[in-house]
Formats: sequence, structure tokens, C-alpha cells
Amino acid sequence: MNEKIELRVPLGLGEQLQERVCSDGQHETVAFGLVGYYRIGRTHVLLLRQLLTLRYVDYVAQHHAGAVWKGSAMLPAIEAAIDGNLGIVLFHAHLHDGPPDFSSDDRETAERLIPLFSRRVKSRPHGSIVLSRTNAFGFISIPNRPRLLRSKILVRWFGSATLDWSADSAPPTPSLNGLTAQTDVTGTSGESALRKANVAVVGLGGGGSHVSAQLSHLGVGRLTLIDDDHVEQKHQHRIIGITPRDIRLVRLKTRVARRVSRNIGLGTALTLVEEKVPSPTALAALKSADVIVGCVDTLHSRRELQTIATRFAIPYVDIGLRIRAFSPDSLADRRVSIGGNVITYIPGGFCMWCCGFISETKLAAELDQFGYLQNAPGEAQVVSLNGVLASQAVNEVLQILTGFAGTSLSRQSLAAGEQADLQRGFKKLDGVRGTLEEWGAIWYPDCPHCSGDLAHGEAAW
Amino acid sequence: MSPEVIQRAVSELTARYGEPVRYIQEGGQVLVRLDDVELYDSCTPGHTKILLVLNPAQPKPLFYVLPGQTLSNGRLPKNSSNEMVAGESWMRFSFNIPWDEGDGIIQFVASIRQRFAQSE
Repeated sequence: MNEKIELRVPLGLGEQLQERVCSDGQHETVAFGLVGYYRIGRTHVLLLRQLLTLRYVDYVAQHHAGAVWKGSAMLPAIEAAIDGNLGIVLFHAHLHDGPPDFSSDDRETAERLIPLFSRRVKSRPHGSIVLSRTNAFGFISIPNRPRLLRSKILVRWFGSATLDWSADSAPPTPSLNGLTAQTDVTGTSGESALRKANVAVVGLGGGGSHVSAQLSHLGVGRLTLIDDDHVEQKHQHRIIGITPRDIRLVRLKTRVARRVSRNIGLGTALTLVEEKVPSPTALAALKSADVIVGCVDTLHSRRELQTIATRFAIPYVDIGLRIRAFSPDSLADRRVSIGGNVITYIPGGFCMWCCGFISETKLAAELDQFGYLQNAPGEAQVVSLNGVLASQAVNEVLQILTGFAGTSLSRQSLAAGEQADLQRGFKKLDGVRGTLEEWGAIWYPDCPHCSGDLAHGEAAW
Repeated sequence: MSPEVIQRAVSELTARYGEPVRYIQEGGQVLVRLDDVELYDSCTPGHTKILLVLNPAQPKPLFYVLPGQTLSNGRLPKNSSNEMVAGESWMRFSFNIPWDEGDGIIQFVASIRQRFAQSE
């Protein structure tokens, strides 16, 4: 069977899970994960939303190393799963390197408990997963399937970078010829991660065209380019790779970006989506991305992308530039303010609502009196300023995929400077001073947007 | 919409449409999906799914149909746009369907269907 199982573990929960089940105690310990779910092609994606553990007194003393616990101890997890319409996954660990397997006790427990969970919440997957120090294996029940799926599992941990525990012990893909200088930064495993990655770029104007070109230079395996707009004369100053012929032929921006990527010639596969987000095709394309980069104009578009990123646990990097004249009508006063942002959302970390970049008030201000999006006036754009933001966005993608600047699952590792409550990932450009500074942002555990939507997946109809 | 009105609406829809009605609670609101609603012959396609969002914070139900659904004149409804609701793509448009708690949700759905017969 070619079906794959992937488990995504948001920032914070990974650290908790490893702490709870990977400890060297007298017996194994277990944790119950509540999971959202979605399916993309042959891959079933389980999204860890919440973790519940047992108290010491819930375990029954045993002469062997396995864990045995009182059945009543599972009730809080089952009730929470019913309330939240979520699947239940039982976790435990075998502390060795390489792919783990189930013991006969593990298998018997899984075959007894998973049908019990399935009867309680029929529309979600349930399972039992054993972690080693490097891999995972499990039994999973998929909704409306009579049989349990026995599978190696890819675990994707979100921290300062994305760590993938591959489903098998396959060696990393060899790096591309001619990328040796880059490999000094990314490492062989980083190169492999880049080659396997699918990065979606939404908006291929002044920012997105830079981003897609740079990602092609990095050797990203697949680029999903999403934009329904075509090029015009005004784009000549800012879209990378644009030609007068593109303007004459009113080419779609995706086609220009595709040509640039192909001309770079590092074999990046390209998926073009010439529709607006969230059309069904665009939504499906975004769900299959490993990272999303948003280079869009409006807060409404950002809200959609943030929701998709949160709901399906996909890292999201957002860039935006705003250039304003102090006195637009004055010939004498040429002063301008040039502000930009690079915001990096790591599932489980702060979102654009937490940091105040999106708010209901700001969204309302974008609408006209009838509630329709106002056409943004032709705001000033400068290719080099867009390029600064785009380059930083690509650095963020590089860090997410390769961990070149460090890999840790702890929330603390993402602290912005010495302020522990500030998470890094909110950078501000001052184009006049020529600085790009880390401001950091506070993650609010009670944010109704990122915490409410986190790892929900698709609706459990 | 009060929780009681929402509860009654779900019961009425289930009683009227039976098996093709699915509902879930998510984030304090109830989502009801009618899986097979017949529209007028001239609409394309002739059947659609309707999503009703019943939210205690909203005065009336919000409704959506599958993206790409046309009116009887073969055109998309005016001011339609795709939105993501509960992780799925749905089409929203600006039909002003009257809502009267006394008439009930079945009348509301009938008005949505009726509106598709019009050509703007």
C-alpha cells in the first residue's frame, strides 16, 4: 500500500511530547494526543493539537518495562476528543536510534484501544504511535476504513527549524552539482531537505518574483506559484525577469516566474495555480506545501493565508512593503517613510493576530462602505526595497527547511534576544535608515485565531 | 441567533433533508452542510452543497455554496468570492435572504434555492 502517514507536531508540543514519553523511568510512559486531520493525495496528515498525560498514580505497577494504566485514566482524553471532534493517538517511545517496531503488548493494546476510540469519534483518524530517537511507527485507523493501517510515519517537528523524522532510514539525497558553496551553509541533509521541499509562493509581483527566483537558485525541489494576475507596464520596474514582450502579450505573472525559474536551470519542478486563494485548486495546492510565502497586497489575503497556515500546520512567511510620502502634493517636501515587515509564523508560535499585524479594525478599514475590498491605490514600489524583504523571506524559508542557524524544538530557542517572552520572527524594515531589525512578538496561548484554529485540519463531517 | 434557535434549525434540517445533512460544532458555531440540494434546471450544476453557518454572535445564518455554482443565466452570482470555512473552499455571495426566526430554517433554504432562479 502506497499510503503515507505524516504527523505534524507544533512548536511547544514537540518538546512536551518528547519530555513525557522519552524519559528513562522504571517503566514506559504514554501520552494521548488529540489530532486534527486532512488528506492530500495518498498522504494522511495527522495534526497534533493537544497532549494529555497520565498521572503517576494512573499507572499500574508491572514487572516488565511496558506501561499499563487504569482504563478510567483515559476518560479525560476521550471526552476532550468528543468535545473537540478530534482523533486520539496514543504515544510511547522505544529509546533507540533507527526505526522502532511494536512489541506484542504494544500491538495488542493498539488493536484494543483504536477501535474503542473510533467508536467515540467516528469521523477522525485514531492510532498508536511508537517513537524512537529518530523515527516513528504506528497503527492508524482512517475514517470509513475497516482495517488498521500499519505504517512507518513521517514526524514533522516544528521548532526553530522543521525537523523531519523520515519514515525510513534512507540516506539523504545527494546534493546538486555546483552547489558546494551553498552546501557549506546548508549541509548535505539541508540540501536534501531543499530538494524534497515544496514551497508555495502566493503573489508574484514585486516581492514574489524575487522570492521565486531566489528559491529556484537555492534548488528547491518544487515551487507552487499562485497568482491570477497578469503583467502590465507598471510592473516593469519591479517584477524580476519581466520583458516588454510579456507586457505586450499580457502574460500571467506565473508564466514570467516559471520562465525565470526554468532559465536558472536547477531542475525546480513548477506547479502554477492561476486562481485566487482560496479557490479549491489554490487551497489544495497550499495544503500540499511545506512552507508558504505570502507576497500579497491586502490584509484580507493575509488573513486567509494565516488561517490556512494555522489550520493545516504549515510554516508561513509574509512580506509587505509600504512607502508613503509625508506630503504627497508638495514638490518641496520629498520626504518618505519606507516601512516593511517579514513575519514568520511557525505552527504553535505567534501569528499575525497575536502581534497585532491583523486586527478586525484594520480589516474593516480595508473595506469600503458597502463592505467590498477597496482597490489599493498605486502605491510606490522600489525593486531594491522589495528585494531586501524578499531575500530575508528566503532566508527564513532556508532556516525552516535546513536549520542552518540552529535546530531546536524548544520555545525558548526562539526567544528574541534577552526577552524570553518575545519570539523572534517579526522583523521590521526601515528603508530610510537602511535597517532590518528583529522586533519579536508575543505568542498568546489564548489567541482565538492561532490557538482556536491550530492543527484543526479539515472539517470532520 | 440564540442557541435554542440554532438547535431548532439543526433539528428541522435533519428532519427535512435526512441523511445528506451533516453538522459539526466548531469554534462556538454550528456548521450544517446539506450535501445534495436541487437547484433549477438552468443552473450549473443542477445540484449543489449548501453550507449554513449558525453563529450565536450573528443575527442570521451565513450561507455558502460550492465554488463555481452559476445562476440560471449561466453566470456566477454578483459579488461572489471564495472563502475558506472550516478548512474547505466555499463560495459566498451577496444575496440578501430575509431571515425570520418564525419562518424557520427550511424557508430560509428555500429562499436560497429560489434566488438561484433569478438572473443577477
